[in-house]
Amino acid sequence: MDFYGIIRDSMPELIYGAKLTLYYSLATIFLATVVGLFFALCKLSNSRIFRKVGETYVHIFRGLPLIVEIFYVYFAMPMILPLHHWFDPYFTPVAGIIALTLNEGAYITEIIRAGILSIQRGQTEAALSIGMNTFQTMRYIILPQAFKRMIPPLVNQFIQTIKDTSLLSVISINELTRQGQIIISTTFSSLQIWTAVAVIYLAMILSLTALSGYLERKFQIARR
Amino acid sequence: MVIAKNVSKAFGEHVVLKDISMNVKQGEVVVIIGASGSGKTTFIRLINGLETVTSGEIFVNNVEITHSKTNLHHIRKGVGMVFQHFNLFNHLTTLQNISIGPIKVLKMKKAEAHQRAFKLLDRVGLRDKADAYPDELSGGQQQRVAIARALAMNPIVMLFDEPTSALDPEMVGEVLAVMKDLAKSQMTMLVVTHEMGFAREVGHRVIFMDDGLIVEQGPPIEMFSNPREKRTQDFLSKIL
Ligand SMILES: Nc1ncnc2c1ncn2[C@@H]1O[C@H](COP(=O)(O)OP(=O)(O)OP(=O)(O)O)[C@@H](O)[C@H]1O
Ligand SMILES: [Mg+2]
Repeated sequence: MDFYGIIRDSMPELIYGAKLTLYYSLATIFLATVVGLFFALCKLSNSRIFRKVGETYVHIFRGLPLIVEIFYVYFAMPMILPLHHWFDPYFTPVAGIIALTLNEGAYITEIIRAGILSIQRGQTEAALSIGMNTFQTMRYIILPQAFKRMIPPLVNQFIQTIKDTSLLSVISINELTRQGQIIISTTFSSLQIWTAVAVIYLAMILSLTALSGYLERKFQIARR
Repeated sequence: MVIAKNVSKAFGEHVVLKDISMNVKQGEVVVIIGASGSGKTTFIRLINGLETVTSGEIFVNNVEITHSKTNLHHIRKGVGMVFQHFNLFNHLTTLQNISIGPIKVLKMKKAEAHQRAFKLLDRVGLRDKADAYPDELSGGQQQRVAIARALAMNPIVMLFDEPTSALDPEMVGEVLAVMKDLAKSQMTMLVVTHEMGFAREVGHRVIFMDDGLIVEQGPPIEMFSNPREKRTQDFLSKIL
């Protein structure tokens, strides 16, 4: 069979894998941003306990190899908590998303924290001086300004997330990388399939880069 | 309106305010002067709870703001503050800067808040800048917007911390004009400034602070022409 023939024949499987990669990436990006925001606010809180919680979270989940975190959630956690029963029959995808979210969330915590800290103290004081409470100050004054500065590092992290989903192959989630492996195990066409897999990853990541370029320009035009 | 009783403030070991007692009556315009580091900013910030006292009591409109149970967010609605460096919200237009307080804090309808904001913009002479962002405004214009932002909350007292000292000389006048107008409308004002013209024209009382103490106070004319204390004389001879 010719070079492209094999790719063409494997397309349905590859697209299936690409879709899973996309879904896992989107779910993780969304959840990790929520988790990151929460722990960033913990780390910036006045309460010592909250700060410690935030710090500990980042230290642990940034400090371990992602693959160990995946194995831990998937194989080790069920020994302590019957997660596999609670989430049956979706335990595998849930474990994958939990592990990815906790890992990416640790990096996003630091990105959001740095973004918030980059806004001058005067903005907070002005907001407090017109009677805003801490929540309103964050929500209406600090976060909108900080968000603009967070776009480039956040996009970086989102790209990392897309690539990291490939590690879910180790717990038999049929995302793009694992689909590639499965196809090759029957067709033995490494060159073609890995090329196709690589091109699909690049296409996803370059679209995300384009989106971020657009967002940055949009916010640049509004300038704030 | 504002009463301070034996207020002291220390940052760690460093005592910045020593046993300050004073009060500001309704409609009174009090000007605070004093050398750099004498504690003027710290004192003003204590009055709206941006700093907390080490000891002593502060009352605003008969509410003790130094009491641990007092809701500061609630008190601050009634205390306007104008900062040396304006501190306008950089991501909001002039109109939004002024109306965000009434909308989010006072829960006012957007249309009503905008109407109020436009009235204030007329008052500070900046209606045509309603849609401009802070970085499109001159320093003087920014400070006038900042005054309007504070006024939009209908405060019972206005605090000013060197509102003109970050401005180019040619812009000082426009900001002082707005402040004089405010003083003439019976607003209670506590103003840290070295603009002696302002103090003379609309100030009822001048307070001279040095090294964390109130050294001397009195009507502007007396203070400027006949200061009793040596420290006041020295300071005035430097700035007059
Ligand atoms: N947050 C802080 N932490 C530690 N020291 C502080 C803090 N804020 C002010 N100080 C100190 O308190 C003293 C009084 O400062 P303050 O800003 O009140 O003076 P000021 O009279 O407003 O001076 P200026 O005319 O320069 O504005 C200074 O010695 C200053 O270094
Ligand atoms: Mg000062």
